[in-house]
Amino acid sequence: MTKRLMAAVLAMMLVLGCCAFSLAEGVTGETEEVVINGITYHKATDLTDEPITLTYFHFDQKETVEYLAQRFMELYPNINVVVQYENVATYDDTLLTLVANKQAPDVIMYSDCDFALSNMLLSDISAYWDSDPETAAIASTINSAGVGTFMTKARYAVPVKFFPTGMYIDLNVLDKLNLERPPRDWTWSEMIDLIKNATVANSRDGMAYYGCGYYNRLDSYYGIAASQQIIGEFGFDGKEFDLGVWAVGEQEFSDLKLGGYIAPTTETQEMEDWTGDWEAWCGATGHVALFTEAFWTYMGTWATEGYKQYNLDIVPYVVPAVSEADATKDHHTIATIDFGGITPSCAHPREAYELLKFMSFGVDGWKTRNEIYNDETKTNAAGLPLKYDVMPCPITTNEEVWAGYIDMYCKGMDEEHRQCWEEYFASCMQPIPYGWTSIAGYWNFCDEYFNSIGIHDLVDQGKAKAADYADEATRMANLYHANAMLKYFGPSGYNVLSEDEIDEYTDMVDDNS
Amino acid sequence: MRNRPAKVNKIRVKRGKLEKREAMMGVLFCVPWIIGAAVFLVYPIFTSLYYSLAGVTVDSVNGIMATPLNQIQWNNLQEKYVQVISHDQNFLPALLDYLVSTLVSVPVIVVFSMIIAMMLNQKIRGKGFFRMIFFLPVIIVSGPLLSLLSESSANTLSVVDTQTITGAIGSFLPPALATPVTSLFTNMVTILWYSGVPILIFISALQKIDTSQYEAAYVDGASAWEMFWKITLPALKPMILLNCVYTIVFISSNDQNSIIGLIKQAMISGTDEKGYDYAAAMAWIYAIVEVLLVGIFALIFMTRRDKYEKQGKKIDRQMRRERRKVLHIQRRQARHAKRYHRPTVR
Repeated sequence: MTKRLMAAVLAMMLVLGCCAFSLAEGVTGETEEVVINGITYHKATDLTDEPITLTYFHFDQKETVEYLAQRFMELYPNINVVVQYENVATYDDTLLTLVANKQAPDVIMYSDCDFALSNMLLSDISAYWDSDPETAAIASTINSAGVGTFMTKARYAVPVKFFPTGMYIDLNVLDKLNLERPPRDWTWSEMIDLIKNATVANSRDGMAYYGCGYYNRLDSYYGIAASQQIIGEFGFDGKEFDLGVWAVGEQEFSDLKLGGYIAPTTETQEMEDWTGDWEAWCGATGHVALFTEAFWTYMGTWATEGYKQYNLDIVPYVVPAVSEADATKDHHTIATIDFGGITPSCAHPREAYELLKFMSFGVDGWKTRNEIYNDETKTNAAGLPLKYDVMPCPITTNEEVWAGYIDMYCKGMDEEHRQCWEEYFASCMQPIPYGWTSIAGYWNFCDEYFNSIGIHDLVDQGKAKAADYADEATRMANLYHANAMLKYFGPSGYNVLSEDEIDEYTDMVDDNS
Repeated sequence: MRNRPAKVNKIRVKRGKLEKREAMMGVLFCVPWIIGAAVFLVYPIFTSLYYSLAGVTVDSVNGIMATPLNQIQWNNLQEKYVQVISHDQNFLPALLDYLVSTLVSVPVIVVFSMIIAMMLNQKIRGKGFFRMIFFLPVIIVSGPLLSLLSESSANTLSVVDTQTITGAIGSFLPPALATPVTSLFTNMVTILWYSGVPILIFISALQKIDTSQYEAAYVDGASAWEMFWKITLPALKPMILLNCVYTIVFISSNDQNSIIGLIKQAMISGTDEKGYDYAAAMAWIYAIVEVLLVGIFALIFMTRRDKYEKQGKKIDRQMRRERRKVLHIQRRQARHAKRYHRPTVR
């Protein structure tokens, strides 16, 4: 009898233990509705009731994050959030010092994944991510291209700040040059044609027109736009690089530069000759048809009062795909995404995940962001409303969030322009992040090999052809990547690679050494 | 009569309360510095040396972990230091640039400071105001401000046609030499900003020169030019060395210095070979080069001792030697007296 009782008690303990384990390992998805400031939040109910403190270390917009942290603490009164802001320039340095002194924050942002992975700053959050229903309603490539998993079975990072890439077209320039507006589902070759057609050296107003003014090089865009199989910069397909793809884009852009289709950059003699002002910016001339500017340039610069004097009429277009088949439907486009994760030393990972979600892709967080951006009395240190200060874009596909965001973003626009933005936002939801944030070994390759040989300058000056470098650069990129995968995720690192994967990467190292 | 050796009586004077208290006060005043130097200088120096020899890893659970001291092998030393010197594509060129540019800019800063200090030491109206203007950059200058200046290209003097000058210099000097010289013109404002403290040091040294020396020289018919070379410059010589050392240290530890950037980059790099240990090895190589640079300037400007002072010390040494000799003879005589004129025991 005693034995049976003992067995029953043990069995019950086992069942309870399993339940407790699953609670600790994932997200139950159970929530309760809480209304704060007119916003209905879905508060997770499986978080601790004990008073705890979480530190959030970031390089996001300072005031916005402080407002978000405040709201999170209202939602979860037992969680005290300590926000630590650090400038991007000194971010890694300060974070590493904190980690070295055993003062690692609980939740962090990062931009260079080699830095984060080599110092094991990110813990495996797969259990939370996989069991969270909100992660299914997110920009599709985050899951399909394994963004944040570094091509392993585990997830280490989530997208915190998402800035889609846009091709900005100045409609006034097209009108002045009697050029037709390109179709919304344009192709890469149509874009190149536009750049060429919009370049007029001897215009009637005495100032040359240029087809393209650049912040980002076109080769960065081409590398992703070339094929739907590519899920990373330099032709990365999830396993290997192919810089042959990059070389095509690089050569095309350099040829455009050499051909005089690209507007001069600021603080150059060419700019002085063109505008008479050494420090002028092509985006303020009204003589450039297309810009490869960052997402935040529109809201932070062109949409501000000061820029109305330049008589620009900027509308966004999606980065065109190379093939017509891809161009006519949603396709992969490069995007600036800053990531975040939970450090392995965090004592409350479940609660930290909820905080990370609130600060990044979470629906509740984005509802709060919309409220913050709508309120123009909330300003940064310079007195600028927060929507003008490097405002990101929602990466969730939640309709309520998007409706609020578009209303806020397009405030004051006429129907035609609002339509352009709506179409643009709908077509930018297959983002592929820049390599240094999402591919192991990428930044080390760039830092130690690619940037040191100055390929861009050589090709831009017509001294070399990009294709001549493609094979060697591909070999080196693969070598760096395979070494990094083994180091970060092999037995000496996170140890999540299978035997087959280890063999595969080891072969890759041997083949490319 | 037996000669007793002259005994040198050492009078031991017990230290008084006041003296003890004064000594204690001195120590107390030094304690903050001693603690500061121990925590922020000695400890980091030895830790960085240790890191440069050991393998170091960092993670958020264990913090920083270095190979224990007894397990460090000679290979580690070879590995890190050799890697920095032979494999790092950026470090050696940056070090060479630093070396050449410092060798060129330090004399310019020191000479400029000396000229300004001599001008500010004249009896002119608004002397205090002018001194304040030249010292103001030291108070308000900081890393970010200097970065802003250089980013906005405000570190050149607009009245100086730097493009023409750099073009002219570049036409007859090889690039390795032309670059540091032309950088003087392109960074003129930055260089002037480095001169605040050296000017102050030179002014204080100038004020300590006895005016009677100038009066005597004037009576003897010396010109201002001669007085500068025979009185002012010799009196300023120790301060020239001090200012050289100050300027080298200031330039070397400045945020604008590209090597500091490289070291920081290496520290946070995710590559296999880089990290804390690699950065520490870089920093040590850099520190050694810096010390060598200071040594070069010290050799050039180290004040030679005065001829008369030298002779005086020589005579002092001779007299001490003779006194010791006399003492030695007296002791020997005493020993002999003890041995050969021992009183007879009956």
